[in-house]
Amino acid sequence: MADDKRGSLSGLTETEAKEFHGIFVTSFIIFTVIAIVAHFLVWQWRPWL
Amino acid sequence: MWRIWLLFDPRRALVGLFGFLIVLALLIHFILLSTDRFNWIGGHAPSAAASHMSTLPEPAKP
Repeated sequence: MADDKRGSLSGLTETEAKEFHGIFVTSFIIFTVIAIVAHFLVWQWRPWL
Repeated sequence: MWRIWLLFDPRRALVGLFGFLIVLALLIHFILLSTDRFNWIGGHAPSAAASHMSTLPEPAKP
């Protein structure tokens, strides 16, 4: 595939993009879980609505 | 969805995302610290919902 290596604007190949996307999604899920836990604890402390 | 990284350079995207999140987090934390109710270091008493129910009369005490 000629497009596989030279076609992207960012310079990443499809394999690299998929690999980075996996790391990105995992990190985002971890961040979101931590944020949900933090919001739950703050709501227990002093609810804001 | 992974094709987004063919458009945007991950390095720039991460720098931008982290910068945005840090600025947003600092903003929210300082706003909360500036309030009485949500200041978690040396804040005043909770003053439960004082801003919402300040017009309600206090219940009569025996």
